[in-house]
Parts: sequence; C-alpha cells; structure tokens
Amino acid sequence: MLRYILKRLIAGVLTVIVLITISFFLMHMMPGGPFSPSEQKNVPPELLARVAAKYGLDRPVGEQYIEYWKNLLRGDFGISYKKLDTTVNETIAYGFPISMRVGLVAVILSLVVGIPLGVIAAIRRAKLWDLSAMAFATIGISVPVFVISILLMYLFAGVLQWLPTYGLASWRHYILPVACLTFTPIAYIARQTRSSMLEALEQDYVRTARAKGLRESAVVLKHALKNAIMPVVMYLGPLVAELLTGSFVVEKLFSVPGIGRYFVQSINDRDYTMVLGITIFFGIFVIVCNLIADIVYALIDPRVKISE
Amino acid sequence: MPLLEVENLFAEFHIGVGTVQAVRGVSFTLDEGESLGIVGESGSGKSVTMLATTGLLPDYAEVAADKVLFDGRDVLKMTGKELRRLHGGEIGMVFQDPMTSLNPLYTIGNQLTEPLRLHKNLSRPEARARAKELLRLTNIPAPNSRLKQYPHEFSGGMRQRVMIAMAIACNPKLVIADEPTTALDVTIQAQILELLADLKRKLNTSVIMITHDLGVIASMCARILVMYGGIVCEQGTAHEIFHDPRHPYTWGLLNSIPRHLEGERRKLEPIPGTPPDMLQPPPGCPFAPRCRHRMPVCDRFEAPETVLSDTHRVSCHLMHANAPKGVRP
Amino acid sequence: MNTRRNIPDAASYAALPKELFEPSSASQRDNELISRPSVTYWQDVWRRFRRDPLAVGGLFLILVLAIMAIVIPMVSPYTYSGMDLSSMNQGPTWRHPAGTDQMGRDQFIRILYGARISLSIGVVAAIINFLIGVVYGGVSGYLGGRADMIMMRIVDILISLPQLLYIVLIMLVLGSNMVSVIIALCFASWTRTARVVRSEVMRLKHSEYVLAARLSGAKGAHILRKHLIPNAMGPIIVSTAFLIPNAIFSEAFLSFLGIGIQAPMASWGTLANDAIPTLLSNPHMMLFPVLMICVTMFSFNFIGDGLRDALDPRLKR
Repeated sequence: MLRYILKRLIAGVLTVIVLITISFFLMHMMPGGPFSPSEQKNVPPELLARVAAKYGLDRPVGEQYIEYWKNLLRGDFGISYKKLDTTVNETIAYGFPISMRVGLVAVILSLVVGIPLGVIAAIRRAKLWDLSAMAFATIGISVPVFVISILLMYLFAGVLQWLPTYGLASWRHYILPVACLTFTPIAYIARQTRSSMLEALEQDYVRTARAKGLRESAVVLKHALKNAIMPVVMYLGPLVAELLTGSFVVEKLFSVPGIGRYFVQSINDRDYTMVLGITIFFGIFVIVCNLIADIVYALIDPRVKISE
Repeated sequence: MPLLEVENLFAEFHIGVGTVQAVRGVSFTLDEGESLGIVGESGSGKSVTMLATTGLLPDYAEVAADKVLFDGRDVLKMTGKELRRLHGGEIGMVFQDPMTSLNPLYTIGNQLTEPLRLHKNLSRPEARARAKELLRLTNIPAPNSRLKQYPHEFSGGMRQRVMIAMAIACNPKLVIADEPTTALDVTIQAQILELLADLKRKLNTSVIMITHDLGVIASMCARILVMYGGIVCEQGTAHEIFHDPRHPYTWGLLNSIPRHLEGERRKLEPIPGTPPDMLQPPPGCPFAPRCRHRMPVCDRFEAPETVLSDTHRVSCHLMHANAPKGVRP
Repeated sequence: MNTRRNIPDAASYAALPKELFEPSSASQRDNELISRPSVTYWQDVWRRFRRDPLAVGGLFLILVLAIMAIVIPMVSPYTYSGMDLSSMNQGPTWRHPAGTDQMGRDQFIRILYGARISLSIGVVAAIINFLIGVVYGGVSGYLGGRADMIMMRIVDILISLPQLLYIVLIMLVLGSNMVSVIIALCFASWTRTARVVRSEVMRLKHSEYVLAARLSGAKGAHILRKHLIPNAMGPIIVSTAFLIPNAIFSEAFLSFLGIGIQAPMASWGTLANDAIPTLLSNPHMMLFPVLMICVTMFSFNFIGDGLRDALDPRLKR
C-alpha cells in the first residue's frame, strides 16, 4: 500500500514540475508582458523595476527559472503585475477558502444525490424513475455550466425573485451557485452509477450471491454497489477539476469573491504573474485531490496494489 | 417421495428481437442421495432447466410447468422469502467460472460466512469456525490465513473449491454443479470431481451435474439426462446410456469422445451441423437437421416418449412401429 | 407463452402412414443451414443506430443546422454587421426571428454566423484531436514496453490537469482568434482518444490476423493502418463523437469568459457573454444563443450515445 502511495506521489510531483515548467515558459512567450525582452520597452519603468527586482529579468532565462523555483519552494507565488501592491499569495489566501466552502458543499451534494439516483435507476430499470432520471442526466451532461447558471439565475433570481444573486452572505446565497455547479456532476455520477450497476448486476458474483439466498438489498448494496462505485471513485479527480473550472463561470455570474473569479479577472486584465501563480496553485490542488482519490480507490479495491 | 419432481417444464426469455424458447417440455425426477447428470451442447437448455427449477432466472424470463416440486413443495408458487431460504439453505449451487463467480472486493471469509450467518443464524465466531471447517473439507490448506485473503489471491482450482465450500456450507439436500470443471485445467478437473464425489458420499447430498463432457458424467452420475434443443432426448442409468443408447444424438455424443484403443487409430467423428435457433425452434424434433436417420415425420412432429424400462426412456421417431428396424449407431 | 409440445396423441401417432418413416434423402439434409440472413458489421451498426430515435433526431438536427448555417446567410437580406438603428433591441418578430441587439443587428443572422464558427471549430478541433489521438495511441499501444510507458506517462500528466486551465494559458499566448482557439482546443481532448486507441490496439495486438500479417512480412505501420485501427474503430468512433460537443463547449466557455473569440466575430459563446448585462430586460438575446448551444450539444451527445449502443456487440438486448 505504501509503495502504491509513493508511486502516485512521485507521479504527482512530476506532473507539478512539468506544469510549472510549461507555465513558466509560456509566460515568457506572452506578448505584451514584462518577461519578453522585446516588449520590455513598452512597460512603465517603475513596474519594470519592481518586476525585475523580483524575477531577475536581466539574467538569462535559465537563471530566472531557477529563481522562480526558489520562490515557489518558499511558498511565494509572486506579485501581481497589475495591482502593484498585491501579492499572489494574498489573493489566493483570500479567495481560496471562499471557493472551498462552495466547492465542498458541491462535492458532497454530487455524491449524496448522484449515487442513489443511479442505483435506483438501475434497479428500477426501464420504469418511470429510470427514464426520468436518465432524461435529467442527459440534459445535465449536455448543458454547459454557464447555460445552466444563466437559466437558473434568470428563473429563480430574476423572474421569481426567490433567491439572491450576489455574494455569499447567508445560506440562501449558497443555493444557486451550488446548484449550478452540481448540475452536471450529479447527472454524470447518476448516469455512470446506473450503467456500472447494471453491469455489476449481470456479473457472475451477483448470481452467486442470489444463489446463496441473500436478500435483494444485500445483493444490490453489498455486492453490486461496491463494484459499481469504482468508476465514480475514479471520477473524483475529474470532478474536482470540473468544479474548479465551473467555479470560473459561477463565481463570475454570482459575484462570489472566490479564487475562480480572481483568475478570470486576471486573465482579462492580462495580469500575467497572477495568472501564472494561480494556475500553478490550481494544478497542485488538483493533483493532491487526484492523489486522495487514488488512495480511496486502492482502499476499496484490493487488486489495485497488485497490478501496479 | 422424490426430492425433486419436474414435469413438463417450459422456460422462455423475452429479449428485444423476440422470445428465446430455451426449455420446451422437460420432465425428470431426482431421489434423495441420487446423482443425476444432465449432458448436452451449449444452448441445449441444460443450465436454464436447473435455474428455472430452483427459481433463479431473471425477470425477463417466463417459467411454466405442470409440476416443479422440491421436497414436496411447489417451487413456482414460492414467495421471494421462501425461495431465498431455499437458495443456499437447501440447494447449493456451483457455477462454471470460478474466476468471476466470486466477488473480487470481499475476502473469502466474508463470502463464505454469508450463507452461514443468513441461513443458520450463526454468530460471527461460530461462522468463522464453520468456514474454516469447510475449507478443510474441501482440501484447502492453511484455512486460517486463507479466510482473510481475496479471490484474486487464489488459483482457479482453489477458487472452485471455495465455491464448493460455499455450496455445501449449510448442508443442503441438493447440490447443483453447472459445468464445474469446464474452466479448469485437466489435472485440476480430476481433483475437483473427486472432491465432489467424496463430499457427496460424506454428506449424502443429491447432486445434479450439468456438463457437455460425457467423461465427467461417467465418473460421477448414476443417472443421465441427455438434452438437445430444449428437450430431453433420452434418459436412463449410466449403464443404459453408455451400453444401450437409443437416441441418435446420444450415439453422436458417444462417438465423438476421443478414444485411444490399443493400436487402433480412429478418426474423430464430430456431429455435423450447428445447434438450432431457439428464437424460432423447428416444429419437429430439434435434432432432425443433423440426424443421419432423419425421416419426414421428424420434421413434422416431436417424438413422444417411449418407455424402454423403469429407468430408460427415449424420445425418437425410430421407436415407432413403422420406422426402420434395427437401426444402430 | 408456449407450454405445449408438438406431439400427436397416442392414437394419431400410431396411425401415421409409413411414407413418413422413409429415410430422408441426402439432399434434404440441411446440416449447415444458416437460419438467419447475415449482415455485414457496418450494416448491422447502421440498422441499430437507426432504431434509436434520439440519435437519428440528433443527426437530423445537426444536418438541418449545418445546411441553414451555410445557405441562409448567402440568401438573406441582412448581413452580419449591418445595423438598422431604427429597430434596436427588438424581441422576436417576423422580420427578425431572433430579435435585434442594441445596435440594430439582426440576431438570427448573427446566430447562424455563430453556428458556422462554433460548428466548424467543434468539428475541426475534434478531427485534429482524433488524428493526434489515433496516431499517438496507436503507436504507443503497438510499440508497448518502454516507449509505451513513457508516452502514457505524458498522457497521464496531461490528463491530470483540468484541460481548460492550459487552454486558457495557450489562448493568452496565442491571442484570441479562431485559429488560436482551434490550436488551444487541440491540446485538450486528444488524450482521451489516445487512451482508448491504445487500449484497443493492445487488446487486438495479439490477435491471429496480426500474427499472420507479421509473418507475411508486413511492417508495423502497415499493420497498424490496415488491421489494428480499422478493427478498433468502434470505440474510437464513439469517443470521437463526444469530442465535438466537448470542443463546442470549450469554445463557448472561453468566449463566455471573454477569452475566446473577440468582437466583431461572434460565436454563440460570445453572443451569450454580450447578453449578460441585458439578461433581465432583453432575455431573448441570451436565450437564442444559449438554446443553440444546448440543442447542438444535445444532438451530438445523442448521436454519440446512439453510436455507442449500436457499436456494442454485447447489447443484443
């Protein structure tokens, strides 16, 4: 087990290294930025001095790269390019907990709603519950998050005026953002659970379980579900990634001051260092979540450790 | 009173393109302590017969019969609860593929103690003790550590032993083994068959062995049912079937066993043709298209059962008065 | 349900005439009779696809949309940026079926131009992703061993990051126009196709016809092209079918965030983004582009589902 975690950890670290490297060199290629030497004459001297001090712009690229690494390992993600007195760290420290609050609720809701939906659809196959659940799921998968967000916003906040649209002041403020974020994941999880349940229920070990006289609930929940849930566990990593990118839209529309909104803003502002810093942070976060998902997977399926 | 009485069993499956008539009028009995072998090709309906008899067919199957009595009780009229008590408690099943018949995510101990705790109401330590005993009975060494292991840590032969252990766990009256050795190596096959015969003797259970391999039947079964195309062609004692077979399909089966007689070199004689399409079964004898002794009546009607002795019956038009006499394999 | 055997009663049976018991002549033996007519693999696939009303509906919708997008702008009196300041911010009317925006531009035409952009980006990006994925996955699967391991590690690394993240970065570098969007999207989803192709190739690599081809001197690339890839086409096509809605979604997402296609060109995403401020007052401006995105993605997803069900040999039910 330990070897498995170690292997995954090394793969994760490798990925982070690749990400940082690629991002760094992309930064240097961006037009209009402080890093491209040809552009430097267009940058106001005060800004250039500041950035130069931090990143060592007069030194060769290789050294800059190492300098960036040194900063990172100290936990310093750099300074904002546009807002001269803000550091990336501050922005992340401010925005991340807010996004996490919404995100955590979203993850839990996705699992708590999606999995039972899929299980019930599978055991009541082709009946009303299944058909309506799957119709909902197909919609959920096909409709992009920004469309859902707009629709829900228009309906519940605009027309019906039941829910607020600005910020996260009360629990009511959470409803719309969370709903928009979880629409697609719930649909996907329900669908995936349903199809892997259907497959699991066809398996020989389910036949054996029935031949042993087990109650149907035990057959479904003990034997079939544990097998069926594997693809959902594998989805946990992509789920986090999806919630992450979904947060860009949701936070923009509902004015949630989370890190996603800062990211989008900094892209639109061409705040290169901020974009770079937040990207790397996102990358690390996603990789950590993937690692956790892998560990959960190995905990459930004893065969994994062998095949690695 | 016989342990199992089946009369005129029919079973169909409703699939998208139509209805598969897998079993079309099967009748047989089984006494306590007896061993019966059901032999036939894939698609002959042998597995479905036993699944239908024990109430283990899925929802999209339909079963009808004049009589299906297990220990005097009507299986087709049982409630779900009664059926569940039957499964594992009084009837144990061993399936074909030990690789996939065990749940890969739970330990052997967990899966073995399940029927024990369910049917016999044993406490956890009691069930574990009994499970260890079962492993010993089925010749699995080091039962203590084995209980904590997962299926993928067992070899194929050992997994089948575990399946057998699960089947006999609650001392059932009947053990049904559906192609128990087909997925195993030849050397392991012999071991498993020996184990089954041994257990049958020790526990005095009835055994129904389903297989396509006559060799397997010969060693284990007192009586044999030969099935083809959803019906029983011939049934009799092992001696009658091997030494006085009367149905052309039985002749074909016996002929196609590879044999090495001293000095003699024989060509392998398979039965030409392919099994019938059970979506649209032929109106007459299902074996007719492949039968060397086919007659016009064979395409028109199915043959009634001819009783040759107390134990020996055959369904073939060759038994009719007007048929050519003295036809032999 | 059939519960009776076709057996005559004892009396009629005994009375059956002798002719019925003559041995049948050899010509009447139909040993190898194949009872059902055979169909080729692809005929079967198309037949099963046709049976799925949603998939066929999706296909129909896409074709209609494509034709409309190509033909109507050519014949319509309204142009893309032609402004009619006398009719600004109008709701849907006969003259302007999708209304007009705040500068009097006809929305219907803009949506159809948007269709051209969104659809072509979607299809082109999907095709390029498909090609990259097939080649990468095919080579990786065929070579196996060390090369495969390295190649798959690279894919693992790329997959573990949210694809929109680095699409956004690439867009920043390349600027915001149609070509850069396509290029950025190309980095995204080929990984999924590569994985599918690789696993199929690895599965089929050991088939006998591959061995036969190798024995008769065929080289690796040839085997890949002629034998392995065509036989792996089923799952490959299914995963490609889902690449298109993925690309359309990604492009719309980018444009919605303001990173994608810029004015005056407008994809559906851009149109939707422009409509945010007037969401409550002029809902129709948001409604139509959003509707188009949904309908298109739905249709492609239905097509993908239909293809997947049609290509899966196990689902004989």
